[in-house]
Amino acid sequence: MTTSTALRTPPEPALTRPGSRRQAEVTRLLPGPLLAVILVLLGALVLVPVVYIFLASVNSDLGVARGEFWPSSFSLGNYSTIWSSVGLAGGLANSVLVAGATAVVSAALAVSTAFVLVRYNFRGRLTILRGLLGLQSVPGTLMVLPVFVLFSSAFTYLGVQVIGTQWGLFVTYLTFAMPFSTWVMVTYLRGLPRELEEAARIDGASNLGVLFKIILPLSWPGIVVSGIFAFLLGWNDVLFASVMTRPGSQTAAVALQTFTVSQEGGTIPYYGQMMAAALVCAAPVVVLYLIFQRYLVGGLTAGGVK
Amino acid sequence: MSTDASNEVRVAAVAAATRATRAAGAETPAGGGQPAPAGRRRLLTERNRPLWMLIPGGVLMIVIIVLPLLLGIYMSVLNLDQYTLRKWISAPFIGVDNFVEALTASPLLHAVWLSVSYSLIAMLVTLPLGIAAAVATQNAFRGRAVVRSIFLIPYVLPSFVVATVWRIMFQPEGVVDKALGTIGIHAGLWLNGPQTFWTLILVQIWASWPFIYLLALSGLQAVDHEVHEASALDGALWWNKLRFVIFPYLKGPLSLAFLIGMLHHINNFTLPFVLFGIPAPSDVEVLPILTYVTSFQSFRFGLSAAMAFISLILIAIPLFIYLRAVKLDDAETPGGKK
Repeated sequence: MTTSTALRTPPEPALTRPGSRRQAEVTRLLPGPLLAVILVLLGALVLVPVVYIFLASVNSDLGVARGEFWPSSFSLGNYSTIWSSVGLAGGLANSVLVAGATAVVSAALAVSTAFVLVRYNFRGRLTILRGLLGLQSVPGTLMVLPVFVLFSSAFTYLGVQVIGTQWGLFVTYLTFAMPFSTWVMVTYLRGLPRELEEAARIDGASNLGVLFKIILPLSWPGIVVSGIFAFLLGWNDVLFASVMTRPGSQTAAVALQTFTVSQEGGTIPYYGQMMAAALVCAAPVVVLYLIFQRYLVGGLTAGGVK
Repeated sequence: MSTDASNEVRVAAVAAATRATRAAGAETPAGGGQPAPAGRRRLLTERNRPLWMLIPGGVLMIVIIVLPLLLGIYMSVLNLDQYTLRKWISAPFIGVDNFVEALTASPLLHAVWLSVSYSLIAMLVTLPLGIAAAVATQNAFRGRAVVRSIFLIPYVLPSFVVATVWRIMFQPEGVVDKALGTIGIHAGLWLNGPQTFWTLILVQIWASWPFIYLLALSGLQAVDHEVHEASALDGALWWNKLRFVIFPYLKGPLSLAFLIGMLHHINNFTLPFVLFGIPAPSDVEVLPILTYVTSFQSFRFGLSAAMAFISLILIAIPLFIYLRAVKLDDAETPGGKK
């Protein structure tokens, strides 16, 4: 599909050389004024709502309900009351627990699975690769009911309580994260030179030795990316969490919804608090991105240069 | 997974896929630039293959994906409701009745229409936005890193957060109404009634244009410097240069983005679910919502399974094209059928 992009020069350092203005003139795509218009419009499209979220989170519920953009009274009170009005703290703790465990385990499974898929040839290998891609797109709404029934059956027939526990969510997220995490690792490991592994094998390293002593140290960036995406999958999920949790095990995504549900009694909903809580729920994800931005987007912006 | 698997996940999938397709061509200069002898490029095919490492992942996928998938198909031919669910194994078999009911006596076809049209409209708007953003941030300027980070904000925020805050902004008398009121527009209800369809599209556009932006950016990065020089030598005007020189480079990444974006929109459960709540207004009862409501509000589990099965067929179309487009293997693999 992108065969035209197959051959590429490394990102040219030309832009930093003296005379770079000439270079910039050559690669320029848009006339200056048009560039400014696009940047301002798109920037506003993103920033106006985002700034509003921050402003609303320090506004009163009434102020938000009346549609104030600029709060008539500022107060950080929302950020302290969100912890007592719904089970947000518990939700966040559950989310960290479940998504964190998903990230670690799926990254570990992904690297070993990808290692076998990339470095060994065996019957069914291509089928597995194709399956990894296909399974990423199986709609969750298709899966949620059968998985729910399966887990309930585990209780009915085996006496194992899965629904309503963090374990159920963990196993579900882990499974749904696996195809993608593995695919990330497959593409990453393909980029690693084989020479080191071959040298290690000549020195008598076993398969596990190669995996732990050669592959693992070399593939940290890939492992981090596949772990983070597994984390995001668990953190962002609403579908499974809304069906398979009980109040004690609900995740942050579900806890945030309870702000809406608990307030449909005629009084003004906790709008300000919801904004604050939404920001708190987004914070871990944003922090992860800021820290690992280079890895996460790097695969795209660096254009696959490793 | 996909449902509400957020954009983030998709993007990286594309990143991985694009890289995989590239790897096919750019494989040769692996180490010092000299192609390694053919013998070394072979995968290890000895007896000593640690295939057992595939077991944990394989077991998980079979138990949590394949088994439920089969179970779902089986359930679609059962008369399954809240009374028969506990002992679903002995639920009455009713053949294709669920499918007949789904197609003739349920809002399913309406939901298919809503899903497809909403996905397509959102996609057609996000494409130019994403391309414009990519073209505008391709050339270096002071503060470009900041601009790029800003553009990524909607893509970074979790779907449920995006939906929650827009839900508040679209409240009657809320900030959106107020802002529109100052310029004399009184738009009516956003979260109820026929306009909800457009509300959903608006929020989807806001949330997903950075995805197109990222993909377009990766396409632009593939443009060689020589190409810029050549078109500068020819004295091409900026519009002609974009149209005839640059845009052809974007075709590949953007068609991939189109497919994956459509899949993501059609599968998106979180956005309509959180934005409108349950029961959703009938104008945003898209496929995932309808399937969910049929299961967990009406408790017509068998009917819901049939609906899910039908939507799987719908999704299979873009999915199939996508799978055909992505090369599974790099060129060096022996026996790797192309």
